[in-house]
Amino acid sequence: MFSVSLKSRNSPLQKLDGRTKLIFLAVIFILVLLFTDLLYITALLALVLAAWFIAKLPTQPLKEMLQFFVWIAVIILVVQVFFYPGTTNLVHISKPVPAIGFSGYLTLEGILFGLAMVLRLVVIMIVAPLMVMTTPLPELMLALVKLKIPYKFAFIMTTALSLLPSIQNRSAIIQQAQLCRGISYDSGGKFITKLKASVSLLIPLILGAFRDSQTLEVAMNSRAFGAPIKRTFLLESRFTPVDILVIAGTFTLLTVGVMLRIRGFGVY
Amino acid sequence: MTDQEQPKTELESSTPLEQPGSTVTQVRTYKAKGRIAGMSIAVLAIWAALYIVASAIPALPVPGMAGMITLNAIMTAISGMILGPAAAIANAAGGIVSMILFPYGFSAGPLGFLTVTMGGLVAGLFMANKWVPAAIAEILIIGSWFVNPQSWQTGMWMVPLPYSAIALLVIVIKPVRDWVRNAIITQNKKTMWLAVFVMCMIGHAAEFLTTNTMVNWMFNLTWQYWVPTLPYWIMVDTVVILASTIVGVGVLVGLKKARLPLFPTTLEK
Amino acid sequence: MPEPVVIQCREVSFLYPNGVQAIHNISLSIYRGDYIAFVGQNGSGKTTLVKHFNGLLKPSTGSVTVFGEETRDKKVSYLSRKVGYVFQNPDDMLFSSNVADEIAYGPRMLKVDPELVEAKVESILQELDLKNLRDTHPFALSLGDRQRLAVACALSLDPEVFVFDEPTTGQDFFGSQSIMGLIDELHQKGKTVIIITHDMPIVAEHAQRVIVMNKGEIALEGSPQEVFSQVEKLQSLSLKAPQVTLLARALGESSRTILHIPEMVDWLQARFPVTIKSGEELPHV
Ligand SMILES: Nc1ncnc2c1ncn2[C@@H]1O[C@H](COP(=O)(O)OP(=O)(O)O)[C@@H](O)[C@H]1O
Ligand SMILES: [Mg+2]
Repeated sequence: MFSVSLKSRNSPLQKLDGRTKLIFLAVIFILVLLFTDLLYITALLALVLAAWFIAKLPTQPLKEMLQFFVWIAVIILVVQVFFYPGTTNLVHISKPVPAIGFSGYLTLEGILFGLAMVLRLVVIMIVAPLMVMTTPLPELMLALVKLKIPYKFAFIMTTALSLLPSIQNRSAIIQQAQLCRGISYDSGGKFITKLKASVSLLIPLILGAFRDSQTLEVAMNSRAFGAPIKRTFLLESRFTPVDILVIAGTFTLLTVGVMLRIRGFGVY
Repeated sequence: MTDQEQPKTELESSTPLEQPGSTVTQVRTYKAKGRIAGMSIAVLAIWAALYIVASAIPALPVPGMAGMITLNAIMTAISGMILGPAAAIANAAGGIVSMILFPYGFSAGPLGFLTVTMGGLVAGLFMANKWVPAAIAEILIIGSWFVNPQSWQTGMWMVPLPYSAIALLVIVIKPVRDWVRNAIITQNKKTMWLAVFVMCMIGHAAEFLTTNTMVNWMFNLTWQYWVPTLPYWIMVDTVVILASTIVGVGVLVGLKKARLPLFPTTLEK
Repeated sequence: MPEPVVIQCREVSFLYPNGVQAIHNISLSIYRGDYIAFVGQNGSGKTTLVKHFNGLLKPSTGSVTVFGEETRDKKVSYLSRKVGYVFQNPDDMLFSSNVADEIAYGPRMLKVDPELVEAKVESILQELDLKNLRDTHPFALSLGDRQRLAVACALSLDPEVFVFDEPTTGQDFFGSQSIMGLIDELHQKGKTVIIITHDMPIVAEHAQRVIVMNKGEIALEGSPQEVFSQVEKLQSLSLKAPQVTLLARALGESSRTILHIPEMVDWLQARFPVTIKSGEELPHV
């Protein structure tokens, strides 16, 4: 599995507040689920791609993501193209097969709807990486806290992040220890071997981490976790005029989208 | 485990806080603040970190799903049994961070973390013997599948049958419920395996039906997709539950043998 | 006649994927029956080097041969039958539900005949004094017993060479004594032993050959006497010879390097016969 990390250090998107980007992400997600019309979804995709290029992000991750999801996309497309109850017949394929709900024709509506669903998938999949690749993780965490997610929850996330390197390291060591105990991952994909490898990785990993938990708890208590004071952050975030502008634009977009949808536009 | 039984930490013994008269109660509230549903925040953070690491490791070599099923499926299935209802929080935290770090593994998009939250929630409530909320959560999960008109098509009622419907029955039928919880809490050598299998089934079923429901809302997949692929999904889920059972038993027994605090015994007190 | 070479490194360098060059151009021969201690500051590349001995890491450039076979195209599961590796933390190696199954795990993975596995497990339980713990859960064992069990797991694959990464770190005095006793026994039975340690008295007392690593290279090499006599050089590498060695120097001994307390007692008796009568009262080390 490949991961996404900060890719763009000096772009207009990097300068935006984390909260602004989270709001943008949420609004795009809502809008793309609101509409089923290919035209509307294409417009949203264009908006996200424009942001991608404004952020000067590399196109390589886009390609990788599309490759990763190509099979899901194909399934979505095939199911819609063949089984969407369209009325405008385009291509004759066979006699109708009522048992599987196939009319015998590929319809215009089916094709448009299928494409719309595929593009919806693309939008959903690239909008989150767009934000992650332009926002350092601590800033993202701060944005979540500022958007008033419970402090305990934010604390769990940030502590988990700080524990990550040591647990990753342990996981690598345990996998090496397994190799020394005779497991071979590369033995032609034997199902049972892989299952055994997963099991014998997770058990010591979880138990070892729980062993360490007692030390961590003492450390947290001695740092007076939960003291009833107003917390301050090393990192501070502030909305700039550009943020206000982007947020205003985003909300306008949302309002217009909802209005259109209520009036019946953008759906079949 | 109660607060009094905890080993004294530096904070408690030296009490560097104001108001000498009220120090004891003050310290207790601090400790209480460090817990969610009986689980210490430190443990939840560790679980979240484990969850993130597990999300990066492709696990079960299920045909057609190369790299998509990661070890976090196993983590979700066993989380409720080990952490109780707080598993929902730990899974959500781990899920959100993994989505940020490896967004590809989540087919349900930005709300994908909700699926693993539900997995931890239902199994955790069950384990804590809060069967009414557990049943309500399970009914909501199954119900949300049927709210979508898509699910009224031919044969779509079958999708929640394997595992989610069975999970609901286990939750509401008292003798079964008590038997499962007892076998796990007492770590009965013979019956524990089946009980842990049932627990993992409850956890995993809540996760995957939520996923299915979300995918169905987002991409309007029809019965022509769901019904023919159902046997395949049952196979995949069974493999995940079986693997989770082996890990779950190993972790429960190991925690007890190493005398580490674990949820089922915490409840006994 | 010198013993045959079991592990041979030729100009080995290793680059971690993140770009850290952990070892540079190391050439080294390890002979059958050697008892080698690798020492050096944290981060000097000791672990990285010894992980090449059973193929856990493959050299970026150069070559490593184990019993004449190039490690590059061999699996770790195959090489583990020749070179056993015991990790610093035994918990990283243990995942079965009882001691006997834990020991049997490796041979079973390698598809050894079940009857032979059974016999092997019995003999190892006997040898490592784990017999009455055979049905115990590994996590219920003491740290010392878990470490014995980790050694047992390596032993179950019958390797000729044993690598121990920091076997005594985090152990108390008796824990260290016990594991070092076990390692000495393996060596007496003719196995080749390689340990990594920061504990100089242990090096002085047990090893026959010391290799000092610094910044990914071999900085010093030789018998404990040879290495510990170079006090200034060691100091420049942020290492320190054992206290007894330094004490003997401070007392004016410069013709030879004293490594352990019994040696020191002999020397003191020879030099100050009046003040020290006998070594019997001294703690046995
Ligand atoms: N998995 C790894 N990835 C990247 N760098 C590593 C890794 N392991 C060790 N290093 C680096 O390689 C160097 C040598 O490390 P190591 O072999 O562990 O030294 P030692 O065992 O002597 O303490 C160090 O600079 C360390 O930071
Ligand atoms: Mg090391």
